[in-house]
Amino acid sequence: MASTVASEYSNEVKNVPIEHQFNPYSDNGGTILGIAGEDFAVIAGDTRNTTDYSINSRYQPKVFDCGDNILFSANGFSADGDALVKRFQNSLKWYHFDHNDKKLSLKSAARNIQHLLYGKRFFPYYVHTIIAGLDEEGKGAVFSFDPVGSYERSQCIAGGAGASIIMPFLDNQVDFKNQYVPGSHGTERRKAQYLTVDEVIKLVRDAFTSATERHIHVGDGLEILIATKDGVRTEYFPLKRD
Amino acid sequence: MSDPSSINGGVVVAMVGKDCVAIACDLRLGSQSLGVANNFEKIFHYGHVFLGLSGLATDVTTLSEVFRYKTNLYKLKEERHIEPETFTQLVSSTLYEKRFGPYFTGPVVAGINSKTGKPYIAGFDLIGCIDEAKDFVVSGTASDQLFGMCESLYEPGLEPEDLFETISQALLNAVDRDAISGWGAAVYIITKDKVVKRYLKTRQD
Amino acid sequence: MDIILGIRVKDSVILASSKAVTRGISVLKADDDKTRVLSDHTLMSFTGEPGDSVQFAEYIQANIQLYSIRENCELSPHAASSFIRQELAKSIRSRKPFQVNVLVGGYDTRKESPHLYQIDYLGTKVDLPYAAHGYAGFYTFSLLDHHYRPDMNTSEALKLLKMCIEELERRMPMDFKGVLVKVVDKDGVREIEDF
Repeated sequence: MASTVASEYSNEVKNVPIEHQFNPYSDNGGTILGIAGEDFAVIAGDTRNTTDYSINSRYQPKVFDCGDNILFSANGFSADGDALVKRFQNSLKWYHFDHNDKKLSLKSAARNIQHLLYGKRFFPYYVHTIIAGLDEEGKGAVFSFDPVGSYERSQCIAGGAGASIIMPFLDNQVDFKNQYVPGSHGTERRKAQYLTVDEVIKLVRDAFTSATERHIHVGDGLEILIATKDGVRTEYFPLKRD
Repeated sequence: MSDPSSINGGVVVAMVGKDCVAIACDLRLGSQSLGVANNFEKIFHYGHVFLGLSGLATDVTTLSEVFRYKTNLYKLKEERHIEPETFTQLVSSTLYEKRFGPYFTGPVVAGINSKTGKPYIAGFDLIGCIDEAKDFVVSGTASDQLFGMCESLYEPGLEPEDLFETISQALLNAVDRDAISGWGAAVYIITKDKVVKRYLKTRQD
Repeated sequence: MDIILGIRVKDSVILASSKAVTRGISVLKADDDKTRVLSDHTLMSFTGEPGDSVQFAEYIQANIQLYSIRENCELSPHAASSFIRQELAKSIRSRKPFQVNVLVGGYDTRKESPHLYQIDYLGTKVDLPYAAHGYAGFYTFSLLDHHYRPDMNTSEALKLLKMCIEELERRMPMDFKGVLVKVVDKDGVREIEDF
């Protein structure tokens, strides 16, 4: 459909189609990370929400306790993130209705989320999703997803705006990558070992202070959700607000 | 990926310690996804001043030769080696000369002033804007990763051997999260009267 | 896409280049020589834009020969490769850059050592034990990584080159009409007949 476009010059008549383009996505910044311990797992996320250079909120939590000891966070476009959390919580509710309040295992939650994400394969939720909790053996577990539902279990993972800043630090300090036994002249790798909750919280705080320092979309506050066999606990630490 | 500064891949990082500085680079040269060479060093020195150049490989070579030429002339005129602070200004003006057709590199200068004994590092953007940092400077395709590593591992006042460990771990873990950096690494630890160069054993993928 | 390969061993460098000249869907020539002798102990092979490549190669050849006449001294392979790199680096920022990639193989008579350089159209120069331009590298680098040893002699290197060519003939979609193989060593440049 062609129509006339207004011009400064009345005699200059242009006849071009007017284009309308609606962009259904935006980027709300923020970053998240998940670490699995021996008998616990955590997801941490900053509480800043942004669009472009504006801070929409200094405290907008994006890590949720969905019940059944499942921690959930979807980072990226926060409207999609919220929608996904709601859909998962609803799915969990119906699982309980249909199966006599049976507890949803973490690996089943992961498979369910894959289907929620892949269901929108051609109009995806623009998010990097991480879930955490305990597996069937009671060991800490973390699963991470790409926007269309491809997923894997891992010991630790970072997602969102600050992922590239945090991830190599986690490789180094959680999985002990590139660390060798002193005196072995690089022949013997430092053995992997489980970290305690306190050590993990220390690393998470270091990771987020670093990301806050170097990334404008990360900051304000840090909320850490810790899942153990006794339930979910939340800790909050302030981050720089500049 | 037709962005000139990420065709070949590679990184440079520099850090300040107690009466010492360190500068390190990876050794990869690639053509997009294909690894071509694992012996492409990105650190050059002019007297006691060290220059790291990440970015488009042809410009890395060209600039290293331009600065060799310019520092040689400087030495003939002044009858002394150029100091890190002076060299930094030379790099800046050389890059800004090409303001509208730039060299696609991220230079990093490191050295110790031979008169004052003060450790000095500086970084630049591709058109010569100086970043005079007192802790560390990063540059290259894994700069995000390097920022994360340096920001969390670095502390001021490290002795040379501790600085070596810190810069090496920062570099190694950063390049392992970048597909077009790595394939070996070289680290220089520079003190007032000694320079130690070490090659690091790294992942080969 | 043309094939050019190079292997440097203990006391020689081997350059192999495909003999086909193609334009669109036709093979116009089946015995092309994509190399030029720069000096007694330096050989250059090249690929790229049809017009540019020969023009550039002969410009380099002429200038290096002119240098040896004027200075009465042969340019070392390293010096020759630096000159070529400089020309390509100048060209890339010109109005109409040369779209040419080259390999330079040479024997340094003063240092008594062989050298192989890979230089692309941007002016990216590297010193390598074995090199290729274009798609050839994707097919042959795995073989070369596996079998290459720095202390190989020329005949062992020719065997390794044969493996590479066989792989290319097996996997490349186009018939490149075989390769022309030249060896550079202390005695100069020579062609390997019926490779």
